[in-house]
Amino acid sequence: MDVLAIQNLKKHFGSKEVLCGIDLSVPEHSIFGFIGKNGAGKTTTMKAILGLLKADSGEIYVMGEKVHFGQTNTNRHIGYLPDVPEFYSYMTPMEYLSLCGEVCGMDKTDIVTRSKELLELVGLGKEYHRIKGFSRGMKQRLGIAQALLNRPKLLICDEPTSALDPAGRKEILDILLAAKEQTTVLFSTHILSDVERICTEVAFLHDGKIAMQGTIAELRNKRVSDGFIIEIEQKEVADVLINVFGDFQYTEKNSLVFHGSEDRFFDIMKYIAENRIPIQRIERIEPTLESLFLEVTK
Amino acid sequence: MKPLLAFIKKEYLEAARTGKITILALLFALFGILNPAIAKMTPWIMEMLSDTLAEDGLIFTDIQVDALTSWTQFFKNLPVALIAFVLIFSDIFTKEYKSGTLLLVLTKGLSRYKVVLAKTALLLSLWTVGYGIYFAITYGYNAYFWDNGIANNLFFSVAIWWLFGAWVICLIVLFSSLLQNNTGVALCIGGTVLLAYLLSVIPKVKAYSPIALMNTNSLLMGEAEIDAYIKAIVIAASLCIVCVAVSIPIINKRQL
Repeated sequence: MDVLAIQNLKKHFGSKEVLCGIDLSVPEHSIFGFIGKNGAGKTTTMKAILGLLKADSGEIYVMGEKVHFGQTNTNRHIGYLPDVPEFYSYMTPMEYLSLCGEVCGMDKTDIVTRSKELLELVGLGKEYHRIKGFSRGMKQRLGIAQALLNRPKLLICDEPTSALDPAGRKEILDILLAAKEQTTVLFSTHILSDVERICTEVAFLHDGKIAMQGTIAELRNKRVSDGFIIEIEQKEVADVLINVFGDFQYTEKNSLVFHGSEDRFFDIMKYIAENRIPIQRIERIEPTLESLFLEVTK
Repeated sequence: MKPLLAFIKKEYLEAARTGKITILALLFALFGILNPAIAKMTPWIMEMLSDTLAEDGLIFTDIQVDALTSWTQFFKNLPVALIAFVLIFSDIFTKEYKSGTLLLVLTKGLSRYKVVLAKTALLLSLWTVGYGIYFAITYGYNAYFWDNGIANNLFFSVAIWWLFGAWVICLIVLFSSLLQNNTGVALCIGGTVLLAYLLSVIPKVKAYSPIALMNTNSLLMGEAEIDAYIKAIVIAASLCIVCVAVSIPIINKRQL
């Protein structure tokens, strides 16, 4: 079943068409990477899902229920972490989670046990100070705890790692990975290594449309190999290869990149074997998300 | 009901921890003491000034001060206290729009109208308690120094001025639902009160304007009848309800 389904979502701000007909479906228990450049409309889409923003047209369904702007009924299925979560700074993390728990109608004992469990999960279990003095990473982690509090079916995170240092990013990704057991995660990002690390599915948002969607493996298979890298011990020999075949390019001093058909590649292999050229490494270039992304957003 | 109570609790916690309740309590207590103090000091001040005034041809003999002097002062200082109240709380909504703190509780499923109700409840209750402190202190001192019996319709006068304050507070709610920053909220409230004041200059409108609720002097002197205020009371009370009721659909349609 799809936790989230978006059909033909459109939105413009002034004369700028931000979303021009988005179709998207997020299957249950996936970690869905929502990828796009800055200003591509990722946050706009997420706010529309949350009913915070009025869409011009199109429909959004969360757990099969239609989302209405301004009304927050479907939000009971959703946990939301904004890009820069802002909390009531005069509260302690525990007080804040209690407020959230009471707002979504959880009972008292459940709030206490769940809050403790989540604060432990995000590494804020021993934080009794007010939120005022929290770092960005700590706020981000509290944001995840807050989002997971009422056991949502869908966790929406808006660029959760963009502003964090490598250690902070790893922590957040680990938490999201752990959350996969309990919920479906939709997170927007433009950091592709994060996507490769944890996502099961991805969608590229470009020019207000979904340019590509599928599992990471599917997307990779859409593109055949980009070519090969041949690393040779001696520079002189590399020059010989370039003279003979021509269509090589240097990437580093002794590394040559070859783009071309398989037949041509075997010709080269034959030449290397016949002339007994010492090779350090031959590698097929896998299409990376980055190359896919750049191609999609060209 | 539970989400509403939780949010009201949050509002009080916020007012307490950001020091607003302390400031308010000090402010109303200070003003409360000021009323009888000014009345008590009036003869002494006059005496100090009498020599200079005498040179100008003004001669004072035996200045009488009583509870009425202090009560007049009470109503004179009220607008200042109310303005302070508005300035302190003009950002009660706008601060949340700007910082985005509302976003998280709303996405947790809190209905927007509950935000309006909780904030209105906080404002009205703080106004009532602050006003109560202000009244109680002045009343106590006046009873100690003089006799409160001299003021006619005292409780009625106090009650209608409270209602005027409640109307201004409901204006905070209304303009906060419309505007993005607190300066705008404060300015619009000032503008609305000014407009009501200008309208009340027209004799036919005078009795209907909430501004009438501020004119308590003639009531205290026993020169005006309670009946003359009924229209203004009904209008002000209705306006309070309308302001809050109208803010709800506006907030519901607000893009956050």
